[in-house]
Amino acid sequence: MMFSLSLMAQKRYDEIEYPELNEIETPAIEEFSLDNGIKFYLVEDHELPLVNVRILVQSGSILEPKSKTGLASMTGTVMRSGGSENYPADKLNKLLEDNAANLSTYLGFSSGGASLNVLKEDFDDILPVFVDVLQNPAFPEDKVDLAKTQTKSGISRRNDNQQAIGSREFRDLIYGENSIYTQQTEYETVNNISQNDLINFHKDAFVGNNMMIGIVGDFNTEEMKQKLEEAFSSFPAGEETNIIFPEVNYDYPVTINFVDKPDVNQSFVTLGHIGGLRENPDYPAIQVMNQVLGGGFSGRLFQKVRTELGLAYSVGGGYRSNINYPGSFQITTMTKSSTTAEAIDAIIEEIERMKTEPPTEEKLQETKDQFLNSLVFRSVSKSQILNRQMNNEYNGLSPEAFNELIEGIKATTPADVQSVAKKYLRPDKLQILVVGNKEEIGDQLDKYGNINELDISIPQPPAEKKEQEAGDANQGKEWLAKMAEAVIEAGTEVTSIAQTGSQTIVTPQGAVDIPGTITNNYAEDKVKAILNAPQGTIEMTVQDGKGTQKMAGQEFPMPPASVKQIQQELERDYINIALSYASLEAEYLGKESIDGTEYVKLRVNFDTPVTYYLDPATNLPNILTYEQFNPRLGKSQQVKTTYSNWKTVDGVTFAFTVESTADGEKTSSQSIESIEVNKEN
Amino acid sequence: MKIFGKLRILGILLILMGFGYSTTQAQYLEEFENKVTEFTLDNGLHFIIIERHQAPVASFYTAVNVGGVDEPVGNTGIAHIFEHMAFKGNDYIGTTDWEKESKVIEQMDEAYQAWLAEKYSVNPDSVKLEELWSTFQDLQENSKQYVVNNEFSKIIEKNGGTGLNASTSSDRTNYFYSLPSNRAELWFNLEAGRFKKPIFREFYVEKEVVREERRMRTESNPVGRLVEEFIAVAYTAHPYGRPVVGWNSDITATTIEDAHDFYEKYYVPSNMTMAIAGDVDPDRMKELAETYFGDLEAGEPAPKVTTIEPPQRGERRFTIEGKSQPILLMGYHGVSQSHEDFEALNLMGNMISTGRTSRLYKKLVEEEKMALQVGAFNGFPGSRFSSLFLTLAVPNRGIDVDSLEQAVYTEIEAVKEGDLTQEELDRARTNIRANLIRGLNNNTGLALSFANAHMDQGNWREVFRRLDRIEQVTLEDIQRVAKKYLVKDQRTVGATVKADS
Repeated sequence: MMFSLSLMAQKRYDEIEYPELNEIETPAIEEFSLDNGIKFYLVEDHELPLVNVRILVQSGSILEPKSKTGLASMTGTVMRSGGSENYPADKLNKLLEDNAANLSTYLGFSSGGASLNVLKEDFDDILPVFVDVLQNPAFPEDKVDLAKTQTKSGISRRNDNQQAIGSREFRDLIYGENSIYTQQTEYETVNNISQNDLINFHKDAFVGNNMMIGIVGDFNTEEMKQKLEEAFSSFPAGEETNIIFPEVNYDYPVTINFVDKPDVNQSFVTLGHIGGLRENPDYPAIQVMNQVLGGGFSGRLFQKVRTELGLAYSVGGGYRSNINYPGSFQITTMTKSSTTAEAIDAIIEEIERMKTEPPTEEKLQETKDQFLNSLVFRSVSKSQILNRQMNNEYNGLSPEAFNELIEGIKATTPADVQSVAKKYLRPDKLQILVVGNKEEIGDQLDKYGNINELDISIPQPPAEKKEQEAGDANQGKEWLAKMAEAVIEAGTEVTSIAQTGSQTIVTPQGAVDIPGTITNNYAEDKVKAILNAPQGTIEMTVQDGKGTQKMAGQEFPMPPASVKQIQQELERDYINIALSYASLEAEYLGKESIDGTEYVKLRVNFDTPVTYYLDPATNLPNILTYEQFNPRLGKSQQVKTTYSNWKTVDGVTFAFTVESTADGEKTSSQSIESIEVNKEN
Repeated sequence: MKIFGKLRILGILLILMGFGYSTTQAQYLEEFENKVTEFTLDNGLHFIIIERHQAPVASFYTAVNVGGVDEPVGNTGIAHIFEHMAFKGNDYIGTTDWEKESKVIEQMDEAYQAWLAEKYSVNPDSVKLEELWSTFQDLQENSKQYVVNNEFSKIIEKNGGTGLNASTSSDRTNYFYSLPSNRAELWFNLEAGRFKKPIFREFYVEKEVVREERRMRTESNPVGRLVEEFIAVAYTAHPYGRPVVGWNSDITATTIEDAHDFYEKYYVPSNMTMAIAGDVDPDRMKELAETYFGDLEAGEPAPKVTTIEPPQRGERRFTIEGKSQPILLMGYHGVSQSHEDFEALNLMGNMISTGRTSRLYKKLVEEEKMALQVGAFNGFPGSRFSSLFLTLAVPNRGIDVDSLEQAVYTEIEAVKEGDLTQEELDRARTNIRANLIRGLNNNTGLALSFANAHMDQGNWREVFRRLDRIEQVTLEDIQRVAKKYLVKDQRTVGATVKADS
């Protein structure tokens, strides 16, 4: 009726008068508990003929042992995929899908749970099935294997997505690589997980004292309570899980960090430092600061970096506060390679500006209006209201916390915003991380300091190597000494060996010959190669964990993965073994006949163990084998190197012909023309 | 300001969800007859009002029947660029002085056009090019003095607006956000402002933002690269083969004048549908619609796409060698939404790949452990015109793409042999029906699906009537469409594989 006054005239947007907002109906939430500790929260919602059950369980991957990272997540997956004894996977899936029921289970970082969404007419039939899956999951071996396969496939793909790499590596920089907050599932940790681990993890987690259950939908509360009591009273009470959040006390030098990803033309940039806790009187003012800096379309970062400079499609972030452990302050953007530094500078400038220039009263009012006017969207559905109450109780957040936040935001002044910016934003402590295309970015990052290039290569799964047979360590030592004497004559001092010849590398396009000289300097733990490749002379040097390549007068750092590979090659080189045999451990594994020759099998226990096959007639190592992860194939391969054409030069017996295969396919060979001992000093 | 909704689904590899909205029984249709009010203004602009009084909020949705397919040759990406411009305000929002600003914008566009003309002339003169560019840049700098940064979005945000965004796909352009329901008039005001008289503020800077979006979604993203290549290979003539975000050189070549022409042709009332769902009074909404949109000129009906994709003459295959793990796409030419076989193809996709009992999942993911993920769905990259039945497969570690491809064909052949059962068909129908019901308690979803149904099929009731069509599809139909469309000659196969290094 009040509208009739304002009929039929277009207005400016700022002349519109708005009618009162209709009341928000706050539903009454019915709560009750069972003797086994389960707490229930019920809300009727008759809009649609559906019932939704949501279970929260006090557990999570924070509880899993580091050596079995991935256990919680797999437990959550296989609970559902494996079904229960009464409802094995196939039967369960058919039953649920025939009734259009959605059932899911999960275990996250510091909480877990399950949910069921079902048409009201099917609820009575499906509820016992749901309870059985939660209480008696079967964890069948084939579904455990499936989960492992899928988890490993996920690991193999984790470096395909630039943003995922950036987010993951940034956490390492802030919380430390070994922190519980950055724990990462690896092939090895997956291999360490057994069926029993899943069974036990579930048994501890899904007990009454850990569970909260919310039900919203088309039901009668009194009837529903009875059904729930019947269905859930058989759950064991168990013991309430005590989740401890370790403190973060990782101190780091401020660094500029880089991950090279040659197949992108945009840099993913993220920078920041450690953040704070929710329990903090400054929390409301920090939320306002976040909104002013990086919130929505009207945040300063969006205005500057996107709208004004056109440097990015996406830019934003803020100072995050977690309930149980410190969040992080983090600003992220993506910009074309050529404007990487420009974008970083613009972001740092805006962070600095937060400290020097408080928002105007007008801007602050806009920010408050935005927050207060959109509050109604936090209560548009009954399930939203129910979920909020459950989450708050789960996290131990007081029911007043939210109202306190609202009041705090209302009371925030421009000076408050500036003061929290000064207190919490630390431009001098910024960790900068760029994931991008090194060639395109060029030297833009040099001005931020020494670039720390991160190694993101995926660690190969050692447990996928064949079961190691135990050998005889004493005999191992003896054979190792014999081999050392055969390779290096007694009394000969060796510091370096330079070999000149030709390397043949097999590529899918055919074999390529590269002549050149490779010098292994054992005294300095250094490898230097000068190769006459088709594209010109390449000089490669690896020393002290770093590698460089020089070509046409330009120098590039080598990728960390290549550096590592060359270091390992130097380590397992038979000359190196001969030089350091006294400090090495080896095991004698008996004799083995290969192509008519009987060899002595000797395993040298490096991080990646290698096996040498010695010819007992000469004690020379004619064959070398080891497992190597091939990232292209996503699996381990057996590398076999055959040494022949032995010649003695200056007291060193050296194989002048070397051939290598991987899983039986030829990969490379070397034909050596000459060697020089101790040429390089 | 997202682009290509369907591609995004692909991006997260959840194709299985593709057809969220669906159908329900007569009971729901009847219930919604009481909640829905429709009217068409004299100029042809159609409104659908859906009452939902559960909470004092409302979602507002504008659907424009224009997408990547409608773009002129040489201006791919223009529908999406225009979408970005629709956030720049109007003649009094976002500016300190429109009169002066509009003159500079005009000069700036002329300068850019002069630069373009020189750049593409037979013998471009580098000195002249540089001069023209610097003239353009000076004007661009000059225009910035009048800009009030993001004022349009700020007004919505400070009024409590949430979910402010827009998207452009091959088929259409969508604009949407939600407000506290007492502020409905603000939406009418702002929406009328941006679509009655668009301004092209910060046009050339925004094109650089669009280019960053292209880099993010396509050029630096293995799935994005694969999809762009895939549709380009699958389509020879029809504009479904072009990227919605546009080719880079087309983004460069697009001017304000082009964008304005595009607007004039396609943003006419008869080509737009607006829907509001939430705690609103339909009579009041009608008054506001007439007040704010009544003076929008009817204009000429939007031009139609006339190109028809010619029959494919044989299988097309390509691989992209890269550094990322393999992903495989297989697509077969199918039909448009208005074709009688469309629902049968939808159902087939649903039956073979939705849920844990579906064949592709059960065989390739669970039993053979070959695929990390597998999906099939109909209607890619759109449904207004004849499009593709698409299958996606992500191999597990150590599984090569070729064996996985063969394994998918084995399952497809079984469907052609008539292997699917009545049980599987019933299950698919049940789940489509239930998913429709689940979507009915969400203002944004309701506004979107009702407006789209009206625009594509002429009536919001098609959302529910789809059930009838699904009920009529038989197992024989599914076998027939499988045999008819899932044939090698009509297939495009594309994969990213790891380059040997």
